[in-house]
Amino acid sequence: MARKVGIVGAGVTPFKGRWVEKTYDELAQMATMSAMQDAGLEPKDVDAAFYGIYNDIFQRTCIPEHPLQGIIGLQNKFGIRISNGGATGAYTTSAAHAYVAGERFKTVLVLGVEKATDCFDFTSMSATPEVIKTIGWSGDSFFEQKIGWTASDSYAEVVLAYMDEHPGDLKPEVTAQISALLSQHVKTNPYAQRQHDQVTPEEVMNSRLVVYPFKELEICVYTEGAAALILAEEETAKTISKNTGQPVVWITGVGESNEHSFAGRNQKVMSRIMSDYLSSHRAYEMAGIEDPVQSIDIVELHDAFVHQLEISMVEFGFVPPGNADALVEDGIMTPGGKLLVNPCGGLIYCGHAVGASNIMSAWSARNELIKRKLRTALVHGTGSTIAQYGVCLVLEHD
Amino acid sequence: MTKKKVIPPEYIPDADCRTIIRDGIEYHEANDAMFTFYRRSMGELSPFFLALRDEKRVLGCRCNRCGLVRVPPFMTRCPDCNFAPTEPVEVEQVGVMNSTPPITYFATSMFQHMAPFGRGRVVLRGADTAMSINVYTTTGILVPGLVRKDTEVKVMFRDNRIGEIIDIFCVPTSELTGEQIEKKGLQESEIDWEAAVEPQLPEADEKGVTAYRETLKELRDIAAQMNQTERARKDIAGWKRSIRVKTTGGQFAMEIDDGQFKIGEKELEVPDFVMVCEDPRTLLDGLAYRGAITDSIITGKLWISKNIEFTTVFKLDRMARSLARAKKA
Repeated sequence: MARKVGIVGAGVTPFKGRWVEKTYDELAQMATMSAMQDAGLEPKDVDAAFYGIYNDIFQRTCIPEHPLQGIIGLQNKFGIRISNGGATGAYTTSAAHAYVAGERFKTVLVLGVEKATDCFDFTSMSATPEVIKTIGWSGDSFFEQKIGWTASDSYAEVVLAYMDEHPGDLKPEVTAQISALLSQHVKTNPYAQRQHDQVTPEEVMNSRLVVYPFKELEICVYTEGAAALILAEEETAKTISKNTGQPVVWITGVGESNEHSFAGRNQKVMSRIMSDYLSSHRAYEMAGIEDPVQSIDIVELHDAFVHQLEISMVEFGFVPPGNADALVEDGIMTPGGKLLVNPCGGLIYCGHAVGASNIMSAWSARNELIKRKLRTALVHGTGSTIAQYGVCLVLEHD
Repeated sequence: MTKKKVIPPEYIPDADCRTIIRDGIEYHEANDAMFTFYRRSMGELSPFFLALRDEKRVLGCRCNRCGLVRVPPFMTRCPDCNFAPTEPVEVEQVGVMNSTPPITYFATSMFQHMAPFGRGRVVLRGADTAMSINVYTTTGILVPGLVRKDTEVKVMFRDNRIGEIIDIFCVPTSELTGEQIEKKGLQESEIDWEAAVEPQLPEADEKGVTAYRETLKELRDIAAQMNQTERARKDIAGWKRSIRVKTTGGQFAMEIDDGQFKIGEKELEVPDFVMVCEDPRTLLDGLAYRGAITDSIITGKLWISKNIEFTTVFKLDRMARSLARAKKA
């Protein structure tokens, strides 16, 4: 029987479009310090580090975790780096959970960090095209990179395939409302990149097309920042909780899935995000959740794109295929609805510091469960081409 | 044929540095790059790429056990059949789109010259899997709705091929003749590409001229507001463009100069590019953040003479949003 694992501390740096004032090393240390202080621990109390760092090129070094081990005070201890595209943070938490549940360690650090916008395109004199190019190196190097593959166009492929199957769903006025709703949520997140960027559905509809069918205000923003969690096994977690006075939020379910990266017969079904379906249902099974609609209160979802948020919610079992718009039209995720979705503002408004993003989502889910005295949250990460990777974690508050 | 450099020289910045001041403190930034050159092995994929380059043929691989044909031939053994061997097969050069392809308007720094472009997946006749491929139209800018799921397309070959996936792209067969559709190894130079033709504007009447005058005044006001907005100025920092704008009621110039944006009633002798819109309010709406200029180009309300200048258009759209945000704050 695996040991029970809980979150006993968490911290984030401010998420910003550009951190001129800090290096990536410093951001990592800031988040670590914040999480350790939250748990009332010092580096000597932590057994191992799990690093969630997505892209070597962003950090401009190919073993980007190596300077961090000493900087965070965990020299001579276990340290492992996880890199799984957009799902890096969730996969890192999943790996840390497995090591603690498997009795290798009692207390571990999960640390995600990314510094994207040091990348700069000198032809357009702006950062974004170079950031997208850098992510573009993540596509298939033989068949896709050279024809302009990007994260956006690969997710757009999935979204358009879903719209081919369900032509009346994902209506522009609904995606616009969801974006506007997230921009309201972010108002209470002082660490968010766009805390003060509230938009109306009309503004979302009027924003420019970036990659059809995605408009500018329906896409996550590139971010620099770090996020950290402290995980501990049951007895240690209870002791820490007694010291800090903060309840333990337990990780009761974990699920992962990586789909095929090619499409067609016997390959990826383009109109589905099976990685989300499988990872969520595996996490539900582990947590003993039979009906997610009844059991889950908060969803911290990796909203790379609003349209994908809607499809992910279908795959999680909250709305039926072809009627994702019920999330808004039936008030499921609107204020007063059954589900609180992305109270941190999501990656669209809080920001997407890739390796840190899902860890930030877990930080937010934990805070919201405690603050609102709710019981269960779902934390999600998605990544790689055509939403190939999916990870879900179920968090529960006693 | 002149050989291209693996990194085009225009992408390479000077070795330089700069100082940024935040809250009275100086921070140092250096121009830098990570670069690695390769002699990349194409290994078992070599027959596929050589067939594209030398024979204008598309190869796949068929599993000896289940018969599944994968195109491109991205594996030599079938994992669905416990790694049974596959054999090379040639597939046809016409197929259908597996799903509606996305269209990239805002491209990465390496692909800005190609935008807007589609990239979708085609299932060629004789294949079971879908191959990633660029999608173009011969009729101008690729717009949503032109190519959808199940649209029949034809693989086209570049005139200059180098044994890479960029040697091919596809266009809808509805834009080709029967003979062209049938021809194997059809090259890009064998079809008619509609050249960018500047739209002709109707004669201006008094009402049109009055509307032009009023709109120009509003445009100037917006430009002045943008120049007073730090975020909007930052959007065009380091950028320089002169744009001749033609409307039914008259012409004017928009000039971007490293953080400064000017709109004036003058004729530019050698503009960087030309914009044409019947109604100047189309541009006004864009700059006032009542609808993106990008989208006006896509819907045909506004025409630009060079697609590469979508980069500038994005900056104008960005400035409009920055001004709108500043007004709200």
